[in-house]
Amino acid sequence: MSASQTPAVVMDNGTGYSKLGFAGNDAPSWVFPTAIATKAAAGGGSGGGRPAVAQKPSFLTGGAGPSGHLSSKRGTEDLDFFIGDEALNAAKGPGYGIDYPIRHGQIENWDHMERFWQSSIFKYLRVEPEDHYFLLTEPPLNPPESRESTAEIMFESFNCAGLYIAVQAVLALAASWTSSKVQDRSLTGTVIDSGDGVTHVIPVAEGYVIGSSIRSIPIAGRDITYFVQSLLRDRGEPDSSLKTAESIKEEFCYVCPDIVKEFSKYDREPDKFQKYVVDQGAGRKVTVDVGYERFLAPEIFFNPEINSSDFLTPLPEVVDGVIQSSPIDVRKGLYKNIVLSGGSTLYKDFGRRLQRDIRHLVDARIRLSEQRAGTSVRSSGLEVSVITHKRQRYGPWFGGSLLGQTPEFRSYCHTKQEYDEIGPSIVRRFALLGGPGGNA
Amino acid sequence: MPAYHSSFLSDTDVRIIGNFGLLPLRTRTRGPAYTLPLLGPEDDEIHVDPESESYDILDETLVLFRANTLFRNFEIKGPADRVLIYGILFISECLGKIKPNMSGREAEKALNTLALEHFALPGDPTFPLNALFAPARDRNEADTLRQYISQIRQELTIRLLSRVYFDSATTPSKWWLSFTKRKFMGKNL
Repeated sequence: MSASQTPAVVMDNGTGYSKLGFAGNDAPSWVFPTAIATKAAAGGGSGGGRPAVAQKPSFLTGGAGPSGHLSSKRGTEDLDFFIGDEALNAAKGPGYGIDYPIRHGQIENWDHMERFWQSSIFKYLRVEPEDHYFLLTEPPLNPPESRESTAEIMFESFNCAGLYIAVQAVLALAASWTSSKVQDRSLTGTVIDSGDGVTHVIPVAEGYVIGSSIRSIPIAGRDITYFVQSLLRDRGEPDSSLKTAESIKEEFCYVCPDIVKEFSKYDREPDKFQKYVVDQGAGRKVTVDVGYERFLAPEIFFNPEINSSDFLTPLPEVVDGVIQSSPIDVRKGLYKNIVLSGGSTLYKDFGRRLQRDIRHLVDARIRLSEQRAGTSVRSSGLEVSVITHKRQRYGPWFGGSLLGQTPEFRSYCHTKQEYDEIGPSIVRRFALLGGPGGNA
Repeated sequence: MPAYHSSFLSDTDVRIIGNFGLLPLRTRTRGPAYTLPLLGPEDDEIHVDPESESYDILDETLVLFRANTLFRNFEIKGPADRVLIYGILFISECLGKIKPNMSGREAEKALNTLALEHFALPGDPTFPLNALFAPARDRNEADTLRQYISQIRQELTIRLLSRVYFDSATTPSKWWLSFTKRKFMGKNL
């Protein structure tokens, strides 16, 4: 089968999770942690033969560790590794050390990443790379060198037919085209990407990231989980493990318009309080009451003060600041198309509250400038619109799936042949997929 | 959206001692406060309508308590906000005294003792918020302020108990007690 007929492979490797699948599909075929478990030697040179019991995670010792035992590497050790959930399981036992090859969105350990991809392609997706085009993702502000290294691995190690590397935020914008609120399919907008570790606010103008205006916020899924846990502990619930807190967060939490009114609502409507049954194993089950954390937990995006004293700027203010620091001619488009992406934006009414709060900020500023101008000239106002859509959770992956199935996708890729002619520097530039002129 | 402010900030014709506002209260305890009409038997004493003429700063304090006590920063906008702060900190102190196994009766006894015991006034060396509260000008004013704050303390305990023991007369609500560990503005009385 030739590569022009097979569906493109879409791989979105994030800091926490990797999303793998085929272009044209609704959802990724595989989602697992971007983790790799390798034999002890990778963990820090405790010697090949000895079973390393107290394994140091390899990030403490700096990646692949000393390559001192070259002779011992000639065997099959190279093949002895696991990725994803299997890696987490293997690392629980002796002999394996776990490594997360991607840190802060960028690939840090290329040796591990290559093996991670190898296993992803052959063991999970089970495809022949020479028969498929590949769409990979990268974080905003990814250095071109790291793109070149990716191409070297994809073309030289795997011999893949063609490659396109897209920026995650741009793909997240493309994913929002599925929403009925979006009419013009532009690649201009503000992406709010909130995963487990960190939340990014990324302005994108016509498919290009405005790098100088990106802001990140140290509040994301994990912080919300910890906050739920602290509320459970304050109340002395019978089970306040992280796992319980996480399930409660995912199952019960929502965003409310006003916390004071919401507290009063709970007084009047006792069925707002819910119960969550935890199976502690061995037939023991305990019931945890679920109450105010339902709306207080996501509130830390809007009132970070209630959780920590280090970071105090509410998310709507950060978004407003990002747009205000972007070039003036794109601000209108950035306010009009604020797109959510990632698991921590899935709370009910998250988009609605965000839109309301940003609109308040914008309206207040317009009123102030009208007052200062002092004339009778009135502003026609500014449209603020937050897009919530069904593909938010795996936004970048879905955007990749959408663009990867278009007929012109392959013409935007660099092929193996082009790579052989020009070399790795060819991937420094890609034509803008789905941009003006394209009919994606 | 920062912590919530008192809606009584707009009442400007109240007596002020130091910078603490002597707002009208709906209470049976005697003191210098201007008394508002008591609620009728058919009124909901937990959710008093803010438009009602009986609605006072203590109703508001109890409504705002759960939200505001989560905050560490609060910008004081006027004398009514200081009443609000004092009320919230006093509620925290009360909740700290209610143990999870206390019946309504026992809690009432404990809180009554607390409300009536000697307390520090703004300006006293043991008062925790001297940076924000100004002292009374003379003995007379200090006496009035003490009586007024005493009214607040007694009335708040009554109303707090009716909320904490709303579902059951024998066990306190764990939802209210869960706020014991939180410290509004990082302070306690």
